[in-house]
Amino acid sequence: MKRTLDTVGMSILAIVLLGMPLWMNVIKLNVSLGTSLLLFGLAAASVNILVGYTGFMAFGNAAFFGVGAYGSALFSHYILPDNMILATIVGALTGTLSAFVLAPFLIRRRGIYFALLTVAFGQVYYFIAYRWSNVTGGEDGFSISRPHLFGPQTNPMNGPEYYYYVLVVFVAVMVFLWFLVRSPFGLSLRAISQNEVRVRYLAINSDRLIFKALVISGMVAGIAGSLYSMSINFAYPLLMDWHQSGDFVMMTILGGAGTLWGPFIGAIIYTLAANVLSSKTETWQIMIGALFVICVLFFPKGILGFLSRPTTTSEDVDTAPSRPRTEQALAQSEQG
Amino acid sequence: MERLIPEIVNGIVLGAFYAIIAIGLSLIMNLTGTVNLAHGSFLTLAGYLAFVLLQRGTNFWLALGISALLTVVVGLIVERTLIAPLYKRIPLYSLLLTFGLALIAEEVFRLIWGPQSVPFSTPASLQGATIIGDTVLPTYRLAIMAVLAVVMLLLLFFMYRTRQGLRLRGAVLNREMMAALGINTQTLYMMNFGLGIFLAAVAGVLASGLIGLSPTMGNGLLMPAFITVVIGGMGSLAGCLVGGLLLGVGQSVTTLYAPAASEIVTYVLMAVVLLIRPRGLFGEEGLFG
Repeated sequence: MKRTLDTVGMSILAIVLLGMPLWMNVIKLNVSLGTSLLLFGLAAASVNILVGYTGFMAFGNAAFFGVGAYGSALFSHYILPDNMILATIVGALTGTLSAFVLAPFLIRRRGIYFALLTVAFGQVYYFIAYRWSNVTGGEDGFSISRPHLFGPQTNPMNGPEYYYYVLVVFVAVMVFLWFLVRSPFGLSLRAISQNEVRVRYLAINSDRLIFKALVISGMVAGIAGSLYSMSINFAYPLLMDWHQSGDFVMMTILGGAGTLWGPFIGAIIYTLAANVLSSKTETWQIMIGALFVICVLFFPKGILGFLSRPTTTSEDVDTAPSRPRTEQALAQSEQG
Repeated sequence: MERLIPEIVNGIVLGAFYAIIAIGLSLIMNLTGTVNLAHGSFLTLAGYLAFVLLQRGTNFWLALGISALLTVVVGLIVERTLIAPLYKRIPLYSLLLTFGLALIAEEVFRLIWGPQSVPFSTPASLQGATIIGDTVLPTYRLAIMAVLAVVMLLLLFFMYRTRQGLRLRGAVLNREMMAALGINTQTLYMMNFGLGIFLAAVAGVLASGLIGLSPTMGNGLLMPAFITVVIGGMGSLAGCLVGGLLLGVGQSVTTLYAPAASEIVTYVLMAVVLLIRPRGLFGEEGLFG
């Protein structure tokens, strides 16, 4: 039964995604919104690696997203103009690197402290982009023209074509994540989210796993960011702000953290809601805030979690022994 | 040199703000694991309440007291209705909820009082300056320092010399044991949250007179306060104080020599401290991982 449902769900999703330029025409929206849906979905998926699978409160992924955006934009501007494939790869690399630089600071911390550090270190990238204006354009941002696919004289990537290019990348990343979460590595991440002390007692170096998870998360966010800057032909510092990180985390929770497609569904709902509300009313920020509050209070497992099983699992109820004991055990396992 | 001393005084004032906001955040974080992203909204709320009272001709100190108490009442209502249901869950949920509240609050302030700064007047008695040698020390800044120092001393007295403070510190160490000893932990959570909001509210009113009151005032102070907690080390009030002063003075002195780097210095200090002491200046080993 579940398999049939999955197949039906995937087929519907495939049809919706492949026909996106058409639907967007029908409901009088620009196809670039469809592109944004995919890319915010990837950004949320990058958060999900940490929040959903590893159980770490990552609140700085917008920084990796923004670094990816700037990385590919600056690459196209200063180094090798007009090659989309290369620009995407550079975005992935800069995103990876940005996470790699921060990871040593972050991996030793858990819980709230980890969350604070991701916010704070994420802001470092924000201020670098904001202040280093002769390279990044500072507060005004950085305009780029969208590159051609393989260099000049090749395929120009206008609206629908660019959308399909992003879709190909999106599917590739989702397939990669599908394998990732089923791999021993992905299963170890889930084990960490359930009980890190036991993972350590199994002689698994959880710090190293978290390091890898961070770097992979940075890579996925970097890819999303680089494609986003090419989509809107612009990179600006606010992409890295922690409010943006908060939006990505919210998309993840809204759709269902710890599921493969949840973050994407959350991204669709969140982005469409923000888009519709901001065009209809002046007070859309209140509505979005209310969406946060309602979702957290009444749908903590997100939409997919709400639809799949109305049971509570250990994931959303903190059944662990009181904090200090867990931490003491971790500290002891360090020393012993 | 004659420019350095006023900047250091500015830095101490700024640092005192960071410290007192960070202490509130730290209290709320340590006891219930709530990262309160709406903390800045409470600062701003207190500022606007005081602004309304001052417009009606209330005495400044009375306005400070009344607006702080009103803000605490609002805070307690929010805590009971929205945040308390999340205490049993992982901290991520309360973090997102308070993030949503901050978004709502900012927009509400904008609707009522407009997006621009409002003219927040400090009383005439605080508008002069003391001149020592050739350095000018504005009275209002000295008054801020005095008030914040008194508030901190009262807080320390409460935490370390009263039964309720003892219970709070005990609950931070072990909530279950407190409950097992027959102490109503929900009341403790409420008191603790109220305390944190009270500190934020006092800081909010005083800051309005110093840096100007706009819908985003509190949120601008929030990030340095979080970094203060990180630098000082989780779970340490002394750490908040030292960390706050370090940041404030560092930031002010930097504005003198390299204005563009004034925000960056906050983060540089954080990175340096964490490289030398990964758990923060006064953080305990093993607490929060």
